[in-house]
Amino acid sequence: MKLWNVAGMAVGLVLVLVLTLAVFGLPVGPSLALIGEGAFGDKFAIARTLVKATPLVLTGLGMVVAWKGGMYNIGGEGQYIIGAMFAATVVKGVLPNPHPLFGPLILVAAVVGGAGYGLLAGWLYVARGVEVVISTILLNFVAVQLLRYAVTGPLQEAKRQVPESDLVPKALALAKFDRQMDLHIGTFIALAMVVVVWLFLFYTRAGYRIRLVGDNRNVARANFIPAGRVQLLSMAVSGGLCGLAGGIDYLGPAGQLGFNFPQDWGFLGIPIALLAGLNPAGVVPAALYFGALFAGSDNLARYTTAGPTMIFVIQAVAVLGFVGLSTLRLRRKTAAAGAD
Amino acid sequence: MTAEAGLHVENVTKRYGALVALDAIDATFFPGEIHAVLGENGAGKSTLMGILTGFVTPDSGSVTYNGAPIPVGRAFECKKIGIEMIHQHFTLVSAFTVAENLALARLPSLYSLAHVRDRAKPSLAAAERLGWAVDPEARIRDLSVGALQRIEILKALGGDARVLVFDEPTAVLSPDEVDDLFRVLRQLRDEGRIIVLIAHKLSEVMAVADRVTVLRKGKWIATSPLAETNQTQLATWMVGELPVGHVARSSGGGQPGIVAKGLSVKGDRGEDSVRNVSFEIRRGEIVGFGGVDGNGQVELAEALLSIRARTGDITFAGVPVSPDHLRIAYIPQDRQTDGLAMGMSIEDNLLVTGHRNLSLRRGPLLIAKRVHAWARGLVERFGIKASSPEEMVSSLSGGNQQKVVVSRALESQPDLLIVLNPTRGLDIKATEYVHEKMIEARNGGAAIALFTTDLDELYALADRVLFLSRGELREEGGAAALVGASR
Repeated sequence: MKLWNVAGMAVGLVLVLVLTLAVFGLPVGPSLALIGEGAFGDKFAIARTLVKATPLVLTGLGMVVAWKGGMYNIGGEGQYIIGAMFAATVVKGVLPNPHPLFGPLILVAAVVGGAGYGLLAGWLYVARGVEVVISTILLNFVAVQLLRYAVTGPLQEAKRQVPESDLVPKALALAKFDRQMDLHIGTFIALAMVVVVWLFLFYTRAGYRIRLVGDNRNVARANFIPAGRVQLLSMAVSGGLCGLAGGIDYLGPAGQLGFNFPQDWGFLGIPIALLAGLNPAGVVPAALYFGALFAGSDNLARYTTAGPTMIFVIQAVAVLGFVGLSTLRLRRKTAAAGAD
Repeated sequence: MTAEAGLHVENVTKRYGALVALDAIDATFFPGEIHAVLGENGAGKSTLMGILTGFVTPDSGSVTYNGAPIPVGRAFECKKIGIEMIHQHFTLVSAFTVAENLALARLPSLYSLAHVRDRAKPSLAAAERLGWAVDPEARIRDLSVGALQRIEILKALGGDARVLVFDEPTAVLSPDEVDDLFRVLRQLRDEGRIIVLIAHKLSEVMAVADRVTVLRKGKWIATSPLAETNQTQLATWMVGELPVGHVARSSGGGQPGIVAKGLSVKGDRGEDSVRNVSFEIRRGEIVGFGGVDGNGQVELAEALLSIRARTGDITFAGVPVSPDHLRIAYIPQDRQTDGLAMGMSIEDNLLVTGHRNLSLRRGPLLIAKRVHAWARGLVERFGIKASSPEEMVSSLSGGNQQKVVVSRALESQPDLLIVLNPTRGLDIKATEYVHEKMIEARNGGAAIALFTTDLDELYALADRVLFLSRGELREEGGAAALVGASR
């Protein structure tokens, strides 16, 4: 049954891709070939897919943790940006003496930044009753403006000519396996986090409490579980994961902060988490699918008129289809329960 | 008036799964009378009312109005032929004005653009007739509960309802408002309408009804003109004969347990739910709190658990009650809202108490192997019918869901156990098992507060019996006290 669901979803995602190509007026066969080549054609293509999927895995995980706790965090983008800014601040601080051992410290700073930003929204909800959806959306805008301020002010490059930060020195950049390939160690950090989050949610007391509060706050209340504190934790973990994504992108593919640093990975974490059925393990295939699409469509764009717009259409259609299906399933289930 | 005038219910049965909510019910509601349908929660009142107003489709039987069958199961059609229900939970749009809400009762067709004021007119006229001052421009959200109910009634009258079904209309009203409502009910009756009053408070039925039908556990018990019956008779019809020959078992000689002094608790709507009650439950003692639902049980239970604000003192063995130094277990009244996380597995639901269990975890980690074994053990010991503890709790039957709640509460060997209607929906075997387990917990030294509306259960388990009536405690039961007869 469960296997069928996964298989059905995979078929559905491919169908959505084919349909979208047709709607965009592209020849389906050749286009698929171009996408496939761009995503999996050679080891460089595979590396590009993995690099694109890396932040998606982390922000997807972040959304899973928050949403499991009943906190509808839409602020992955802001947490991603603040995480990267914290990382950049530490980099600037250690610039005179860039030793590779500072790497972990920088990533920890990214986690702390993202977690703090997530906590802010969590606190607004728990202490002040501000809906998380609203506050996190608005905090995204705040983060974008903070970034613009930072790269034209305190974090601007030494010559103060362009609105960008200094390049991350080689010693601090994420380790790569091959000079010509994009693949960096951040991808493996992200995969490790999948296991960590999975263990956290299903094999720790705190993770259990997050799932319980997200499912039924009343049960938590009736059993002396402090729901507010639990939800704060879920927001902190969620923001921390998004912040880590920002830190990794900053130390890896981007290499510096600038106006165009945010690439919507924080937002894309939401459809990833939904497609994953809020299951940490499901985040990996969902992120890989869209990572491959991004990598593949770059290749497609080189030969045709299609651009990344198409991917967003595919994402939207896939998520709507998925949400529609789950709603149908839920309705059928409640109808069956109602007859009981 | 023909012989057929009125609302006739004939041989109506409604089942929900294995539960027979209504069992071959007959009833007749005549124009020009206030007919009370009386019964405890679960007696079938709501189902009957739902059938009368088209919200529920009966499995068999017929309902006719003035000789013609009503469109069963179609609420909107029922409204059209003049059958209206006054819901306990108001169906008003809080951001709209009074006039706009009243206009909703008379929706214009697509082609006619009647003004809100025009459409509200019949309702406003009814207000004048009933002697109610209503400001059509007031916003619903600014009005008091009593005023809201008036708007709800006026909404029904705007459509010229001939049959008005009231669902426990006095539950939210102050005594003055209750008197005014009764005045209006009588006036509406004198206008020749059929008034159906769903109630579980005897005093109100005595005050206003012309005729009474009593239901118990889905069965018709009696119908009688009010003049030919009395409170005691009605109470006995409602709850059945009181068990006789009961002897108190425990002298309350155990170690000191929970002591409540001058406890007052507010309900969700800010009403006084529990008023200045004091009692003691010693260790090794079950104190039963009898009384009909809605007399402060849930509020008192939650106050004892310290999860609801209160005034007054609660101590256990001399120190304030707190989950940090006391094992407290709770079996809530409504398993689906307060007891179970319906989106989670049986095991996860057992962990609600189990995740505190030190033997199941190492620091912050849950030891999966031990959790699985522990959950499997509970499922077996409590006879929870499931293929495995990983099964979703939502796929269980109601009785098995209740077993999940009960098993995790009793498993933790609590010092203090608060229980509300623990065997509702359970079969006889499961009920006996739960009772056995509670007695075991009592003998193990737990102080147990048992809130139950089931008299058999109350007398079977409790060492001492108290009754909750309108938020006050009384030592002596008697059928009339049970149903909150005093005002």
